Order: sequence, then structure tokens, then C-alpha cells
Amino acid sequence: MELRFFEIYRSSEFLYLLAEGAFLSAGLTLAAGVFGFVFAFVLAVLRFKSVPLLGFVSAVYIDFIRNTPLIVQLFFIAFGLPLLFGYVWPFWCHALLALSINFSGYFAEILRSGFASTQRGQLEAASALNLSNGTIFSSIIIPQTLIKMFPSLSSQFIFLFLTTGVISEIGVTDLTHAGLFIDSRTFRSFEVFITLTAMYIFIALGFKAILEILYQKTLGKRVV
Amino acid sequence: MDSLFIEVFGKPHGIVIYQLLAATKYTIYLSLVAFIGGGLLASIITLCSISRRSSLEVIAKIYIWSFQSIPLLMLLFLTGLGVPRLFDINVNPWTAATISLVLFTAAYIAEVWRGAIASVPKGQWEACFALNISFVSTLQNIVLPQAVKFGLAPTVGFMVQIVKGTSLAYIIGFSDLMLVGKRWANAPVIGTEPFIIFPIMALIYFGICYPLTIFARNLESKELTKS
Repeated sequence: MELRFFEIYRSSEFLYLLAEGAFLSAGLTLAAGVFGFVFAFVLAVLRFKSVPLLGFVSAVYIDFIRNTPLIVQLFFIAFGLPLLFGYVWPFWCHALLALSINFSGYFAEILRSGFASTQRGQLEAASALNLSNGTIFSSIIIPQTLIKMFPSLSSQFIFLFLTTGVISEIGVTDLTHAGLFIDSRTFRSFEVFITLTAMYIFIALGFKAILEILYQKTLGKRVV
Repeated sequence: MDSLFIEVFGKPHGIVIYQLLAATKYTIYLSLVAFIGGGLLASIITLCSISRRSSLEVIAKIYIWSFQSIPLLMLLFLTGLGVPRLFDINVNPWTAATISLVLFTAAYIAEVWRGAIASVPKGQWEACFALNISFVSTLQNIVLPQAVKFGLAPTVGFMVQIVKGTSLAYIIGFSDLMLVGKRWANAPVIGTEPFIIFPIMALIYFGICYPLTIFARNLESKELTKS
């Protein structure tokens, strides 16, 4: 037993690969987070408003996404759909699509429970004041949900980030992919994966800090 | 048994579905082992985190924080590839997958249980202390029966995460639903294209996870109506 971390760190090629992988992992997660959130919002509204048919579809979609592994969804999107419809995309596009779809299921569930937890009294007061349904939704339910659910959304996002390593399985050159490549060159598996773990944790902490600042700058001010 | 499947689903599909279901057995075994092992480890960590010794408390906190932060995939790589190479030993995929999932599960379940115990009002501990009831007896007879109702639903809900987590174990060579399914999807057999195999696999995973989700949801709503 001998730890030889320097075999990784002395090679500028490896360091470059790790940095590139880290950027791709963080970037894809961030983009998937944004797309996923937008899509989740639509789903949660459809579900909450019990829109005929679409509300049911979104409920099924949310449950299906939340109860199947990301990797199966990813493989279906990356290998199944292109074969079925005969299109060719770069790897990262498949990964982005799969991650967005996966994220949207989790975010939608959180948003839906946030919408549903608005206090009854507020809704009654709002309808007594003759506010329209649209106004009640956009200026009473949504802001409160975002404030209340921000911590859940942000920790869910961090948790989902930690699962994105599987996109290396379809050939995306993310952080895990870089690690596996370095592992195959140096055979210092333990050192490589310790390094990757540290990098994942470091990026996760970075995301957490950014989300916290974002919350303080925007929604946090509105809390009375 | 497999001939029945071939009768019902026809030639490639009967064999595929039979083999997938046969492999699902290992997914379920691994999930159960992870849940039981993780539960045992989690109870030790929970005990540490509620003990009055601050050193044990810190250890529990560090454990929970670190294993919630380490991606499961990295845990699998470390136990399945990293540690065996470092110490020059052979670790079979079962052992590596079990160890990773147990460590992963324990961190999350311990956090749930710690929260459940913390939600029992502190005054009850103090009252028991004043009545000279021992720590073990307080925990066993007073606190745990109340904590169970907070902790049960999230614990059952977390089992879904464990089942989904086992799908990563194929990466270190654990032969489960995922590995068998992926092999079929890559096989050049007409009727086992990826767009057929992966939905079938998703349905099998859904069939395992969804009842757990429903069960957790029912427990939760039961609690809400009771209190």
C-alpha cells in the first residue's frame, strides 16, 4: 500500500482533463437545473390546478420519473430514442435532455407540495377581496411557495448534482469520465477516485454557496 | 418457468422478460441487504448523535455529512476499484456494492432518525431524568414509540432511493437487473433494441419502487390526520 497522488497531479494533461470535466459536469447540471425547473413549474401548475387530462399526465410523469433510476432514463434517451427516430446528437445533448427530465420530476413534486401548503385563510381572504384566480396564483401562491420551498429545491439540486456522474456512461467527458480515463492510464484508482470525490464535494459546496447568496439577494428580502 | 414466458410473450421477448425478472431478484436482495445493514449502522450512528458525549456527537455528524456528500458512484468506485488496487486484494462486486450501499443508506437514515428523535420534546427527556429513569429505558419506552411516527414514512420513502441506487452497482460488475438489461440492449437481436429493453426495465424498477412510495405516502397522510 502506497499513496501516490503525485502521479495524477504532476501531469498537466490529467489536470487539464479534470478541470474540463469539472466544468462540463457543473455546466450541464446547472443548465439541466434551469430547464428542469422551468419544466417542473409547468408540470406542478398543471397538477395543482387539476387541468383535465394534462393534470393526470403530469402526475403520472412525476411519479414515473421519481420511481425509476436516472441511469435507465439516461440510457433510454441516449440509446433508445435516437435509434427509434433516427437522429444523431452529440453525447452531451442526450445527457442534458435526460438530466433536465430527471430534475423536473423531483422539482415538480417539491413545487406541487409547496403550492398545496398555502394557508387556507390566505386563499379565503384573497377570494373575499375578489382577487381573480390568476392573481391569487401569481401573487400569493407562487411567491410564498418559492420562499418556503427554496431550501428543499436547493438541497434536491445538490443531491441530484451528486448523481450526475452516470452521464459518463454514455460517453460524456464529464468529471467521472476524466477520472476513469486517468485511472486507466495510471492504475492509481484509489487516489483518482479520492480526488474526484473531493472535487464533487467542492463543486457541491460552491453550488450551495451560490444558491444561498441568490436566496439572500432575491427571495430572502421578502421574508417578513 | 421460462417456457411459460415464451408462450405468453413470444420468442425473444419471453426469454428477455424472464431473464430480466430473474436478475431483478439480485436487485431486491442487494436493496434488502443495504437497507438492513444500513439500518443497523444507522442505529449506532443515531445513538452516537443523541448521546450526551460531545465526541460521539461530532463523530456522528461528520459521518452523516461526509457520506451524504460523497456521490454513491464514487463510493462504488472506491470500494470496487480503489481499495482493492490500493491494498492489492480481491473484492467481489457483491461485497463492494453492499459496503457502498450500506454506508450510503446509513448516512441518510441516521439523519432521518436523528431528526425524528429530536422532534420529541426535550422536556420528556428531562422529566425521565428527574424520575431517575435510565437512559436506555427512557429511549425504549418513552422516546422511541413517539419518534417512530415521525421517522417511519421518510424511512420507507428512502427505500426507493436504495432501490434506485442499486442500479449503479452494475458499473463495478454486480450482476443485477441493470447489467442483464444493458447486455440485452447491446445484443444484436431483433426485438431487444434499447427502446424496448429500457422501458421494460423502467417498468420493473417502477413496480418495485412505486408500492414503497405509496406506502410511505399513506403513512405520512395517516400521521397528518392523526395529529
